[in-house]
Amino acid sequence: MRLRAQYQRAMEALYIACIVLSGAALVAITLIIPLGVFMRYAMNSPLSWPEPAAVVMMVMFSFLGGAAIYRANVHIAVEALLNAVPPAVRRAMLWGVDACMAATALFMLGYGVQLCHLTWYNTMAEFPALHVGIVYMPIPIAGFLTLLFIIEKVWLGPPPKTSLMYSDQAAGLE
Amino acid sequence: MDILVLLGSFTLLCALGVPVAYALGLAAILAALYVDIPLEAVMLKISDGTDDFALLAIPFFVLAGAIMAEGGMAARLINLAKLFVGFIRGGMAVVNVLASTLFGCISGSSVADTSAIGSVMIPQMVKQGYPRVFATNVTICGSVQALMIPPSHNAVIYSIAAGGTVSVAHLFLAGVFPGLLFGLCLIGLVLWTSHRRQFPVSERVALRQVPKIVLDALWGLVTVFIIMGGILSGVFTATESAAVACVYAFLVTFLVYRDYKWRDLPHLVHRVVKTVAMVMMLIGFSVGFGYMMAIMQIPAKVTYFFLGISENKYVFLLLVNILLLLLGTFMDLAPMLLICTPIFMPVILKLGIDPVHFGIVMILNLGIGLITPPVGPTLFVGCAIGKVTMEQVSKELWPFYGAMCLALLLVTYVPALSLWLPGLTK
Repeated sequence: MRLRAQYQRAMEALYIACIVLSGAALVAITLIIPLGVFMRYAMNSPLSWPEPAAVVMMVMFSFLGGAAIYRANVHIAVEALLNAVPPAVRRAMLWGVDACMAATALFMLGYGVQLCHLTWYNTMAEFPALHVGIVYMPIPIAGFLTLLFIIEKVWLGPPPKTSLMYSDQAAGLE
Repeated sequence: MDILVLLGSFTLLCALGVPVAYALGLAAILAALYVDIPLEAVMLKISDGTDDFALLAIPFFVLAGAIMAEGGMAARLINLAKLFVGFIRGGMAVVNVLASTLFGCISGSSVADTSAIGSVMIPQMVKQGYPRVFATNVTICGSVQALMIPPSHNAVIYSIAAGGTVSVAHLFLAGVFPGLLFGLCLIGLVLWTSHRRQFPVSERVALRQVPKIVLDALWGLVTVFIIMGGILSGVFTATESAAVACVYAFLVTFLVYRDYKWRDLPHLVHRVVKTVAMVMMLIGFSVGFGYMMAIMQIPAKVTYFFLGISENKYVFLLLVNILLLLLGTFMDLAPMLLICTPIFMPVILKLGIDPVHFGIVMILNLGIGLITPPVGPTLFVGCAIGKVTMEQVSKELWPFYGAMCLALLLVTYVPALSLWLPGLTK
């Protein structure tokens, strides 16, 4: 029982970490792109780094945020058939969904690591110290996190109602 | 057989309830295994799909729209719309549609529009004696305008799905008249219904309140001029204009309107991250899926298939509209744009259909799908806000579908509606 509670707490912490990192990246790129425009027109001193830096952060928030929203059950899915079948069939279908998700997450983990490895020694002109492999690291990390969230869902069910992921009340956007 | 593996597995996975983004990825993996393409290539395409600078416009437009939607903009635009039409019979229903037109200039999302306009307008309409179901239907149908009226992040998604060959600025401009026409069709319907069912007439707004109402609304409407002016003058790229619009929206919300509380800001970012991450994952996996479609020459085969039926572009447009209306009832707008655009692109080019015009037709068509059961996110949000059931709403939606399909037919068969404005900038 204690192990279950600890695992759920750990998953909640991971979810919060993903959202905080993704949110911080989103806010950061919202500031650096206008900064680039300001420097180009107002200061007549164009910056070369805002664009690649924004792309690096976009990869991060896309994949880390993508893993987090799996836990929040926000991904678009066609649930018409799921809602139409008897409960026993529905349970079997949900197991199938989890298995498919796990397969995709494993692909992201395994081939994401390979992608990082292949591009590790490539560098970006604007950030010579930054390995391209690091830029793609959110992909395997997101695969790994998704696997952990799948385990939580299969083992412990949906996250508790006290989870931070239910804290945003207003409707989302499509 | 290889096509069956790709499209069949995707359909099966979707039917099973696998999230569409992951279904695209898994179908691409299965197809790659079947035709012996290294999975590293699929992974490379997926990573390519998320590191394109043009993609950044999507989170920025969503963020700017969210800040404006929750920062008090909707109520101010409704007040502006009341000035013009609030005093006629059925005026509040027209105000609802007009407020969606104005709100479309800043949000670009029909769900955000339904949520923001509906939460203000539906209670007001009900209080004045409009049936709750009618008020809900006007709100959800009016919100589809937001998908066409610039700035629309769906136009950016279409441009990306078309391989970046279609200008975002042209798509933005192309959406203006179709969006307005759509609104006019709805206004015609609600006026007719209001006279037939004797809906109430509201009071005129006092003249002394006019300057304040106009000024309050103008602060928000300037956003669209920043975006369109910036792009068309060449000062900003679409991505940069969207980022500048975010900063402007933030400043107006917190320094001018001051309705929004700082403590709510993390929740807003949380919501935007959820929305954006969902779209970006979808785009990433759809690039992998599109790569496999290209390898299997699906777009070319679809071209031959359609040309085999008819080489008349009007027949093709009719067939595509029927197909998309059907598929749109089951699938959301963004994934449909990402999947169907690369498939249809070679056909439309072969038939001489302008990709900008086709993009607007697709967005409008799939926008109607957002308010059709069983899968209609805007419909769901509208029902929740209007406190009505989907069955109640669905029964009375038919005249609205008629008006929307009329707009769709006009936009489809009068290309000048979409192409005249972008043509001025060429």
